[in-house]
Amino acid sequence: MTRTHIVVVTGAGGVGKTTVSAALAIGAAAAGTRTLVVTIDPAKRLASALGVDSLGNQPSMVPGTDGLWAAMLDITASWEAIVHRHAAPEVADRLESNPFFRAIADRFPAAQAYAAGEQMAEYSEGGAWELVIVDTPPSAGGLDFYLAPRRMRELVGGRLLRWLTGASLPGRRALYRVTARPMLRVADSVLGGPLLEDIAEFLLDLRTLYDGLSSRARSIERLLGAATTLVVTTAAPASLREVRRFYSGLGEISVTPAATIFNRDLPKEWMAPKRLPAIAGLDAEEGAILRENLRRWGDEARKTQDAKQELMMRHHTDVHAIPWLEDAPTTVAELAALAETADLTGLLQPPPR
Amino acid sequence: MDATPLDRRLLIVSGKGGVGKSAVVASLAHVASRRGMRALALAMTDPIGLATHLGAEELTPKAHELLPGVEAAFVDRSHALDEYLRIQMRVPRAAPTRQLSRMLQVLVDTAPGVREIISMGKPIYETWRGDYDIVIVDAPATGQLGSYLRAPATIASIVPSGGVRDQAERMRATLSDAAACGVLLITTPDELPVVETREMVASIEAEQLVAIAGVVFNRTLPDLGMSRSRIAALPPGPHRSAAQLHAGLYESQQKLLPELDSSGHLPFLFGLMTPPEVAARLAEEWT
Repeated sequence: MTRTHIVVVTGAGGVGKTTVSAALAIGAAAAGTRTLVVTIDPAKRLASALGVDSLGNQPSMVPGTDGLWAAMLDITASWEAIVHRHAAPEVADRLESNPFFRAIADRFPAAQAYAAGEQMAEYSEGGAWELVIVDTPPSAGGLDFYLAPRRMRELVGGRLLRWLTGASLPGRRALYRVTARPMLRVADSVLGGPLLEDIAEFLLDLRTLYDGLSSRARSIERLLGAATTLVVTTAAPASLREVRRFYSGLGEISVTPAATIFNRDLPKEWMAPKRLPAIAGLDAEEGAILRENLRRWGDEARKTQDAKQELMMRHHTDVHAIPWLEDAPTTVAELAALAETADLTGLLQPPPR
Repeated sequence: MDATPLDRRLLIVSGKGGVGKSAVVASLAHVASRRGMRALALAMTDPIGLATHLGAEELTPKAHELLPGVEAAFVDRSHALDEYLRIQMRVPRAAPTRQLSRMLQVLVDTAPGVREIISMGKPIYETWRGDYDIVIVDAPATGQLGSYLRAPATIASIVPSGGVRDQAERMRATLSDAAACGVLLITTPDELPVVETREMVASIEAEQLVAIAGVVFNRTLPDLGMSRSRIAALPPGPHRSAAQLHAGLYESQQKLLPELDSSGHLPFLFGLMTPPEVAARLAEEWT
């Protein structure tokens, strides 16, 4: 059985991560690689093109392709699955009905990212695919996806609990001893009610997930270490800032992005436009419109050139440009064409070890 | 475009990531300054985005005047927590605050609503204090906004009694007072931001947590003024391809604009402008 190679596609929201992931996957499948693309929040038309109209972690074959599957992650369901996988049934039930748990599942960004990571590991270990392309959940700095396994280990390991009790493996008795401490009574008088005690109870339940979850988290970390990371950006300042944050946080995780994919690129030749050629039947007003329009878009083209230049200089990354299209590609044929024009398939090779 | 969103004490500006939220907040800060208002602009998630649009490098927890009459600051959570404990909860200095706040810091990371209420506490507190005519918040993106707006209710549901609960109740009252507070949602005429904005509007209206002060489309393109068939008849070259791109993007935008009941449009800004120039230019759009 071939090892599954994982490609993680990261970048700010709105830069076209999902489209790029889909195009990469279609390109790979067309080249004969059994591929799964895992999307998080695709636009409706793209989701229909991939045949994933409804949420579900179960991959389905993409219509009109050979050897391409797609899944659209249901992160909430994944969370529940995680709890049931790692906790005893009665603990899992208790956790699920706990308000703290629901709020954490809703909001703890690492939980969503971790759920996606665990699902990714699942797909990879099943061995059904040679290539799994993961479109990451939107997150600050794009690092969450990589940091999530560690953060989850810390969360279920009970950082608060350890800190409250001072015990490395605190049990209920340690908890009750500690809640009688004066400092906690100050906290309770501020917060009102036995809030900390309630939270500690909850964390004790969560703590029972630790063994299963932490070994799982470690295997996710190993998979991520061997994965290929691609960063997607556009010339928009916010998305470039996100890329800078991602690169500056790389020290925390052992990842070297294989390349940067620059979406919504504009042609260089728009920057220094030639004169508008004499065109029969074109009136003066239309001529002025065309000249003014190209002048404006020429400025935009200048921004994209500068941004690409800066990415290469600052981060020493290969930049693969995807042209700005009138309409985001949504059909399999359009996505395949995109993969070909932007020469994306070469990016999918596993890193040399 | 009508700047009535500023007729409030607290304006919470949100939108999907990347739609230009910080630039719009900065433009509103310009409008407030122009009108001679005293305003506080608060960045809640990122100290840099809003700062660059106001010509600063990075915002700090301490407010600095960046435009005449307009101060700006970053809501740093551990700083906000200390402030919350000292000023709002009146925890005496003699109390073991360092130990307490260290413990609460962990709590903030774990308990639902705590992190959000600490962050939301800052702009609401500034509104109560009344040093400013308006507090404009560069709020978390729509994906997270709900949990911030819901935080006071969440806290009230898990904390049975006491100071925090009372404070949460008061926050909820301020947020839901339509005369005092509103949410301004920024979107671009692109599919995903429009869908997300529509969902946000629906959930805000259903839960009645806060009034909607408006929905604004950012980066709307002007009509090129030339038909698709005229463009298609041009000889190939940059003039034609740039016109095709513009006309195509314009058409897609026009299809999405009716999807939301919007209070106005801000233009796509062409040209090599710095972030402060963008904010100043957008400010001209508000009347």
